[in-house]
Amino acid sequence: MEQWTRREDRRLLTGHGRYVADLVVPGCLDAAFVRSTVAHGIVREVDCAAAREVPGVIGAWSAADLSGLPTCTHAAARLQDLPPVPHTLLARLSNEEAVTGREWPALAKERVRYAGEAVAVVVGEDRYRAEDGAAEVVVRIDPLPAVVTPSRAANDSIALFDGLSNTAFTGEAGQPIDESVWQGAAAVVEARYRQQLLMPTPMECRTILAVPEEDGRLSVWSGHQMPHRLRRELAALLDLPVDRIRVVVPDTGGAFGSKSAAFPEFVTVVYLAVTLGRPVRWIEDRLESMTAATRGRGQDQRVRLAADADGHLLAYELQIDADVGAYPHLGVGLPMQTAWMATGPYTTPKVHATVRSVLTNTMVTYPYRGAGRPEATIALERSMDLLARRLGMDPAELRRRNFIPAGSFPYQTPTGRCYDSGDYSTALDLALETIGYGTWRDEQERRRENPDALPLGIGLSCYVERSGGEPGGLHEFAGVEAHEDGTITARCGAAPSGQSHETTFPALVAQALGVEEDRVRLVEGDTDAQPEGLGSFASRSAQVDGAALCHACALLIDRARERAAELWGMPVEEVEWSAGSLRPLRDGSAAIGLAELVKDTGPLRVDDRFESGMGFPFGAHAAVVEVDPELGTVRVLQLVVVDDCGVVLNPAVVRGQAFGSAVQGIGQALYEGIPYGDDGVPQLANGLLDYLLPTAAEIPPIEVKDTRTPTPSTPLGAKGAGESGCIGTPAAIVNAVADALQPADPGLLQMPLTPDVVWRAARAPKYEEAR
Amino acid sequence: MKPATFDYVAPHTVHETLDALGDTERDVRVLAGGQSLILEMHLQRIRPDLVVDINRVAGLDHLNLDNGAVRVGALVRHGVFESPQAVPGPLGRLFALAVVNIAHPPIRARGTMVGSLAWAHPASEWCAIALALDAAIEVRSADRAREIAVHDYFRGALQTARARDELITSVRFPLLGDNTGVGFIEHRRTHFCFAQVAVATALAVHDGVIEQARIGLVNCADRPVRARAAEQALVGAEVGSPGTGYRLPDGHPFIRAGRIAAEQDAAPLAEPYADPEYRRNAIAVLVGRTLRQAATDYQVQAGNGATGGRL
Repeated sequence: MEQWTRREDRRLLTGHGRYVADLVVPGCLDAAFVRSTVAHGIVREVDCAAAREVPGVIGAWSAADLSGLPTCTHAAARLQDLPPVPHTLLARLSNEEAVTGREWPALAKERVRYAGEAVAVVVGEDRYRAEDGAAEVVVRIDPLPAVVTPSRAANDSIALFDGLSNTAFTGEAGQPIDESVWQGAAAVVEARYRQQLLMPTPMECRTILAVPEEDGRLSVWSGHQMPHRLRRELAALLDLPVDRIRVVVPDTGGAFGSKSAAFPEFVTVVYLAVTLGRPVRWIEDRLESMTAATRGRGQDQRVRLAADADGHLLAYELQIDADVGAYPHLGVGLPMQTAWMATGPYTTPKVHATVRSVLTNTMVTYPYRGAGRPEATIALERSMDLLARRLGMDPAELRRRNFIPAGSFPYQTPTGRCYDSGDYSTALDLALETIGYGTWRDEQERRRENPDALPLGIGLSCYVERSGGEPGGLHEFAGVEAHEDGTITARCGAAPSGQSHETTFPALVAQALGVEEDRVRLVEGDTDAQPEGLGSFASRSAQVDGAALCHACALLIDRARERAAELWGMPVEEVEWSAGSLRPLRDGSAAIGLAELVKDTGPLRVDDRFESGMGFPFGAHAAVVEVDPELGTVRVLQLVVVDDCGVVLNPAVVRGQAFGSAVQGIGQALYEGIPYGDDGVPQLANGLLDYLLPTAAEIPPIEVKDTRTPTPSTPLGAKGAGESGCIGTPAAIVNAVADALQPADPGLLQMPLTPDVVWRAARAPKYEEAR
Repeated sequence: MKPATFDYVAPHTVHETLDALGDTERDVRVLAGGQSLILEMHLQRIRPDLVVDINRVAGLDHLNLDNGAVRVGALVRHGVFESPQAVPGPLGRLFALAVVNIAHPPIRARGTMVGSLAWAHPASEWCAIALALDAAIEVRSADRAREIAVHDYFRGALQTARARDELITSVRFPLLGDNTGVGFIEHRRTHFCFAQVAVATALAVHDGVIEQARIGLVNCADRPVRARAAEQALVGAEVGSPGTGYRLPDGHPFIRAGRIAAEQDAAPLAEPYADPEYRRNAIAVLVGRTLRQAATDYQVQAGNGATGGRL
């Protein structure tokens, strides 16, 4: 293992990973979906007859064809109709009112509401056959007018569901702010920001393989973040007891929040596997993913920020029109995350955030790395820079004056959060020192006096976010088991998709038990091996599962001492535990190891449910950019990210998370966006040539540093580390571009800052000119 | 993203290839580097009946000099031109400047220059260079061989004068004289994507004065464009010495040429993140900058820096 940074690296980096597409299952069929090419329309005809004639095609069905499909004799097959996609009310992120009457069909039957919505499924002997069949399905849809922005959809002139408003959810955090506060303030800045829709773009798209077993059970393999939730949702829609389904998450190539639901394709594949009595697999390809997988972000924001003449913040107001996509799912309530986090790291006494979640003719919005917190940070941090400029104050100084002081935690925010711990000014100071803030300001001055020099800008972004989950979803299940051969098995409810659990968790357990690291084996992502669990989301695995494993280790040690006490006939207080061994405290006889204890007394296993508090990681990001005003290109010269995720379990792993998420943050700031045509269809015909991700060539020097302020929410002290860059980096870059160009109208710089956007901002009146 | 069923042949001779292409009843496609064709087949935007793989055909991979020109065979890969010595003189330098903008190394190891000319994508670097340099497209069918002058060759996006039964065996570029400075600059959103705009220039200079200018515009219309009006405006201008800032001085002939290219020669189309107004701006800027690059190249290569006129 020496030459590899992580335990999973040998397997994953040498091509020995096993993903769902790699699993060999005799007789397995492949599914391909026929999708709507219009964004909104009435389905007139879906004719699969020709597809069924294609050699190698086993079956082809529209939604109507699937009603009353004769079922095979498989024990699970009690289904009549293809069930709809299960919605979820997890963590207050949706409610019954939002979803009633707006069910998401697994296959659209009468109406399509986004381009890419599946209208038929073809199953073949392999994916080639299935696609050949799919190409023969005749689909006729009468187009309706489409709406693809929440602002346009909100007036209901085009309704997605007849008789129902497009507005599926409203909410607020904090108290409304009296007009007198704004009128009495020395400085008020206002702006509108667009948080564009983004694609999570994991390297491996969505996957599922459903295998009806001979004993009547159903095995499901899927690249998934929440296997227990998937099992529960599939059991409900198949009307099966949960223990009749096993969900396994094999190696998974990324998720970023986008792989935690029972998607329409999953429902269809599982239904077909059960009714046909044959294994069915669906491996989403990139183009499919770009039309039919969930997207993140999607908010139109209006902000007002007020301060007194000394730069003390008085009030902050954030109005959010959120783009939910075509069907209400988790994305309905997700913008509340933005509202709850609107206060940011500042002592602003009055903060009010409102949310209006609006249905549009686009694919469904869903969590994407950051999930509501980037939107909160970008809105606030861009506004902080506007305010600093208005006050003629250094943006770093304005932030410093308003930080919640390190001695004020726990801190109750006006938007309903209770921050656990923080030291915001230390993070900012480290970021400024690392990037050489003063030196860059001097360079900026020098360039302003030289007409031949490209303009340079420096941008800051200070953030506080939330990790672990929401109340009701802050617990996790974990267990440890000691074996006769001296090895330890650790189990937990997490399901990794690239977060290095195999490296981090065994090391943690080894340390907690005082045994060698290579004796610990981790089992997760299999509902048979670990019957209960929540999964990996909200940057929770280290914070919650890590703490749960530590707690389980402590329980195991207690149990071992009890056993030894019984064995030796002495009170438990007289049994000493040290470095994986037990020893009588008084009589000086030899210690015995855990393995020996198990040999003498039988299997030793503890399973535990552990509850964490919410964690509030924070940090400060700083960027220096150079802008070519003639072409509008932005070159990031330097990026410094200082993150604080409390106690760090594995520095290399945390650094990887910080680096990777910063790259995705750069993506949101400069490159990524989904252009829609007037007909509501995404203009992405050439895949990732049309939706641009930053490549290795675009990545600037990124310096990753940290401060470490433990959370009191768990004994382990770790907070989430997975999403920092997506949250902190975009505003740093946008602020840097604004600093370089100084446009009077901040609304000109809407992400992604593509060359045409930046070119127009560079030509627009400057702030000084406009005053 | 799987191709529809197709037939496949891999001939060993040009003669066999032309026989296969002679079946004009069917949709027959030539596979060389495959970097565009295979993608289009995966997307099923092209569903050929027959794919003729020419990678085993003898004699198509030659790169040779012929009477003041260089002939590039149909199987010469992009990557060959990464060395400026692959082709003599300024032409080799221009190819080397341009080729690194073609996607990334794996694609350059497989894709071919002639394949790019056959595909005729508006954003192709080679197509605009061929047009600017008066290249000749050499084609053969089962019963004839002919040469298509490049100004007759491009007919629109992905449209050319090649007949369906014809194979492009090679393309011939006249070499550029030693008194020529060359430039190539590409503007794109990331290193991964197609050019929003790119410009190729070659300036023939005598006594510090531009005798002839050649300007090729990439992705500035539905097909490659030769900026003839801008070229004309440069003849007789002093090449000058390059400035140091990112902006050329006001009133400089290269700025004027850039504006003429953008307003008179180009016909830019709208695409996401690049409407025609932005594109015209980018064309003007890039033409100016590429001309300056060519002027610098001329001065450095010819050792003429000291004799250049004032800027």
